[in-house]
Amino acid sequence: MSDTREVISSGNELAALAAYDSGCLFYGGYPITPSSEVMHAMTDLMPKAGGAAVQMEDEIGGVAAAIGAAMAGVRSMTATSGPGISLKAENLGLAQMAEVPLVVVNVMRGGPSTGLPTRVAQGDVAQAKNPSHGDYKSITLCPGTLAECYTEVVRAFNLADRFMQPVFVLLDETLGHMHAKAIIPTAEKVKSEIKPRKTFDGDPKDYKPYGVGDDEPAILNPMFSGYRYNFTGLHHDADGFPTEEKETCRKLIDRLFRKVDAHRDEIESNEEFMLDDAEILLIGYGSASLAIKEAVVRLRDEGIKAGLFRPITLWPSPEKRLYELGQKFDKVLVVELNQGQYYEEIQRAMARHNIEKLTKTNGRPFSPQDIIDKVKEVF
Amino acid sequence: MSRIVMRFTGVGGQGVLLAGEIFAAAKIKAGGFGVKTATYTSQVRGGPTVVDIQLDDHEIWYPYAIDGQIDFMLSVADKSYQLFKNGVREGGIIVIDPNLVYPTEEDRKKWKIIEIPIITIAKEEVGVVLTQSVIALAIANTIMHAVDEKLLIDTMLSKVPPKFHEANLKAYELGKKYALEALEKLEEAKA
Repeated sequence: MSDTREVISSGNELAALAAYDSGCLFYGGYPITPSSEVMHAMTDLMPKAGGAAVQMEDEIGGVAAAIGAAMAGVRSMTATSGPGISLKAENLGLAQMAEVPLVVVNVMRGGPSTGLPTRVAQGDVAQAKNPSHGDYKSITLCPGTLAECYTEVVRAFNLADRFMQPVFVLLDETLGHMHAKAIIPTAEKVKSEIKPRKTFDGDPKDYKPYGVGDDEPAILNPMFSGYRYNFTGLHHDADGFPTEEKETCRKLIDRLFRKVDAHRDEIESNEEFMLDDAEILLIGYGSASLAIKEAVVRLRDEGIKAGLFRPITLWPSPEKRLYELGQKFDKVLVVELNQGQYYEEIQRAMARHNIEKLTKTNGRPFSPQDIIDKVKEVF
Repeated sequence: MSRIVMRFTGVGGQGVLLAGEIFAAAKIKAGGFGVKTATYTSQVRGGPTVVDIQLDDHEIWYPYAIDGQIDFMLSVADKSYQLFKNGVREGGIIVIDPNLVYPTEEDRKKWKIIEIPIITIAKEEVGVVLTQSVIALAIANTIMHAVDEKLLIDTMLSKVPPKFHEANLKAYELGKKYALEALEKLEEAKA
């Protein structure tokens, strides 16, 4: 039997279906354009799974409820757009600090503030890296096709349970709302590959949820299952109780970084499109990559050898691969629907400044011609 | 088949989105590729809405219709018509509801403009105003031969509640009838 199936759907609906197939049992949220269809679909799917989808009083309540459900031991999700992430920020920081696995879908629209509600942007890339105050390491995935709106949400649930922290999935208005064919894994295949979070099965007296190795995530048993621990946003010890002891505090934040940094190979994911023989390197992600791919093909029709590098995991960035590509290619053009939020990361990773950029922030998508014109202008 | 690019425009709330989804789904069921995108404003009702439909036998990456390459546009609101007409290639076909859209003489020289009173047909001949999107679907497919008609109708029926099947089938037949008449007129004018 085939491991894949063909569906006709939109990015938002596929994100919800992926949550359902991944065993998600709780959705807490508040509808906001252009993410609302995720919530519509979840309110339909969650009861079918024996779970619940709750429209809370606002975005803050939405993420708080989702965190609560995750503490109770189930896979949990919230979805919103940029303004909603701004509201959820404080609780997302709590989930980072207390190590709560959670999937957070952000269907990006034009910002800042209420911005351009119905139009596309990629302006929340920097926000996803550090949505709240404090030091921690974001895991942010960015689908670039309809199928990836499904597969990246599946991956987000597995990564959230593996690393015990919120995982962002950045969709955008174009991907969220476009409606077409997608080839995705079967639900059976997804279910067979679910990697649930670790639990502690020993004597409850010996349970130290935060007493783990220096590159390991916390082991949080479901609350109310006989394993007691304290849950706090304060710096905490192995049992979760607040402490200001200086070594414990240092080790805690070091660990929040190290648990991600030491396992980047489990997180990194990229696509290289017609890059092998390319002379011009285009870098883009999310829906912008759809226009870039078409531009690459058309440029090649004219004898201009371009190729695309597309990070699917945006944070942590694929810094090693970016450095290699920066050494290999003289001509590099970054294409993104913001003023250069990832461009700066690429400059850092490549350790060079002579990189071209094409940006747009008026709520309109790039057309392939925009990219072709820019390539011809700068190279 | 080379790529067919169609654009439906109206104002928010008229239901132009559904027609696009039906086209894309029918083409995919036939083994091809179809993409629908919608662009609308933050105005809840009455803002200009545009639905782009691209159908191809080959994979489509970029999901939006590119201005200047649109073969067919259908419009049931003047402000949307004025805003989006220039995306249609010269000599392309534009179907308008003459009670709601007012093309200039220059427009009539630049494009083949076909007038069909879509909203009136839906209200008075079908009796269900919401069927306008199915009338539009029938007109577009009759003129563009975009997908197999039976597949299109079956796909349409799968997306509307059973109690409206009869009304929507009637809407499809009426849309097709008016489109064939309009095509005849166009031929006569040419002759």
